[in-house]
Amino acid sequence: MIKLNEITKSFDDFKAVNNLSLKIKKGEIYGLLGPNGAGKSTTINILLGFLRPESGSAKINDICTSTQFDKTRKITGYISENVSLYPYLTGLENLDYFCKINGQKTKKLNLESILIKSGLQESAHNIKIENYSKGMRQKVGIAIALAKNASVYLLDEPASGLDPLASNDLSSLLKKISKEGSTILMASHDIFRIRETCDRIGILKNGQLVNEMKTSEVSTKEIEKIYIDYMQK
Amino acid sequence: MIDIIINEWTKFLRNSVFVYLNVFFIFSLIFVVYLGILQNNSQETNRKIVEDEVREQWDNLEPMNPHSAAHYGSYAFKPMNLLNGLDGGVNDITGNVIKLEGHVQNEILFSEASQSLSISKFGKLKSSILLQIIIPLIIIFLGYSSIINDKKTGVLKLLVVEGLMLRKIIFGKSLSIWLYGLLLLFLTIIIQIFSTSSFESLNRLILIIISYSLYYYILAGLALYFSSIFKNNTTSLSIVMCLWIVWTIFIPKLWGNTVEKVYPLPSRQVFKDNMKEERSKGIDGHNPYDKRRDILKEKFLNQYNVDSLSQLPLNFDGIVMQADEEYGNQIWDKYFGKNYHILEKQKKLFQISGIVNPFSSLQSLSMGFAGTDMMHHLDFLKSAEDYRRYFIKELNDQHAYGGSKTGDWKWTVDSLYFRSVKKYDYKSAKIFDKINYYSIDIICLLLWFVAVNSLIFFINRKKNIL
Repeated sequence: MIKLNEITKSFDDFKAVNNLSLKIKKGEIYGLLGPNGAGKSTTINILLGFLRPESGSAKINDICTSTQFDKTRKITGYISENVSLYPYLTGLENLDYFCKINGQKTKKLNLESILIKSGLQESAHNIKIENYSKGMRQKVGIAIALAKNASVYLLDEPASGLDPLASNDLSSLLKKISKEGSTILMASHDIFRIRETCDRIGILKNGQLVNEMKTSEVSTKEIEKIYIDYMQK
Repeated sequence: MIDIIINEWTKFLRNSVFVYLNVFFIFSLIFVVYLGILQNNSQETNRKIVEDEVREQWDNLEPMNPHSAAHYGSYAFKPMNLLNGLDGGVNDITGNVIKLEGHVQNEILFSEASQSLSISKFGKLKSSILLQIIIPLIIIFLGYSSIINDKKTGVLKLLVVEGLMLRKIIFGKSLSIWLYGLLLLFLTIIIQIFSTSSFESLNRLILIIISYSLYYYILAGLALYFSSIFKNNTTSLSIVMCLWIVWTIFIPKLWGNTVEKVYPLPSRQVFKDNMKEERSKGIDGHNPYDKRRDILKEKFLNQYNVDSLSQLPLNFDGIVMQADEEYGNQIWDKYFGKNYHILEKQKKLFQISGIVNPFSSLQSLSMGFAGTDMMHHLDFLKSAEDYRRYFIKELNDQHAYGGSKTGDWKWTVDSLYFRSVKKYDYKSAKIFDKINYYSIDIICLLLWFVAVNSLIFFINRKKNIL
């Protein structure tokens, strides 16, 4: 479960997040929709414990992310927009390394199955990351998050760089994970992908949550219209 | 931690440019060290040959008066420590031979710098340059961007989310780079170990390894620390390079000049003039009209209850020569002692700069443990002077008590006697007997080690990850 309670974070005079409150239930996928600079990444960084809000509190499974960062990171999986990883290691070696530093001793067979589950073809497993496309790197990033068996996933533009088929696979994968009980917060400005993946959507503008809706109640066109209306205000 | 180190080394080894450059560098290093050993061995062999020749000449001297033999004199040769090839220290400029003779303490001669051709003087590549300048530079270049690059690509953020503490990442990367420095250090040292058999040299090599290891860790830790607190490679590199230049070039020079101002040594001329003036107040062994000689003469006549020197059962000339010698020794002790104390004070004050400059401490320890610093050189000078005193006293005593009468300068001793005079055999001081000279350097390096670890340990993880 993710809970943000009236959090505010400024950088000098700029309020990146302004009095933001949000509650995401266990097993729910929440999409945070907003333009660049709306505060999506700042919100995720607060949840990751890298930024401390000036006011309010951010909790994952009722654990404060600012003060108990060491506990929350153990139960949090993170996928960034640009997964660079180590270019001199193969996809399999990267996954193995991140599992090791996380304290997991995963067998090669299991690692391969996680990579396949993330959508990376077996033939690519032993190729160095420097030869991967952005989409392939993204899949390894997803595999790293999955291997952790986290209860909460924070995704910052996860479908960026993925082809439509891979994006669709990602949506299916995230839905599957949420059904297993994981909570997912996905920040994006891809309205279609958010509509396809999430249970609820929140529109973020100038650090404030200006609207929230259930995806089951609105179409992609309607979300787009609402989004554009807010951005033009 | 071990996973981080393995990962860093994988990065190094999968970079073909890095590998090729290192193969070239390692071969160059081995070549330089090997040449150093060869040169050292050659110098040592030559020294032994010359030393044996000088002794042979002494052993086979034609019969002569002992005092003439004292003027003929002998030589003390400073042995070339095997570790001289590792760090030449002051040996290149101080010289390695002293003429030992009566009435006078000569200066040491034949420094390498004065003997070499100019091209060799300026172009010589010593192991110490590689160890103190080149390897630290490589460590800096490997470390300054390491964390910044991970920060830029987002890998650092992912590593922390996946469970690594920022300080653990910095420690891991520092250790990886430090191990690389150690590898180069060991290659250098191992070649030396192969050519050494003495326990003392092994002790010294171990201490050298520890000193360099500490310094390399300090540098690697600092390079990684700056890499983690800055967001820009240029800033990080500029800061580390500035620090390195200040440590390696500016502080040693500035502090060295300050030390000389605070505890100035008298110039060579003043030193000589003072000695000469004071010496003139003693007995002149070659002046029969000297008043102080008369006092000594009276003393001996009374002691033996005789009226004239010819009645003495000894050669009074030998007694006078030795009295002259002992007076000269006192003056030498006084002035050389003063200089020795000034040099000691200078060294201590210079060592204190280690608080702000670990390079000074490293340099001092490197020379000290290699047995080539000023303290070891002074130890040799003292030993040579002690031998000179034994040597001259032996000859003067032979002149006085060997059976000749006062005024009999034609009385001679033969080679049988000359062979009985002990050979000069200098054994370099044992390092653990001299270790207190280096306590300030050791403490400074350890303080730096603790300080760098503290900087890394207390780094603000949140501020420096994004």
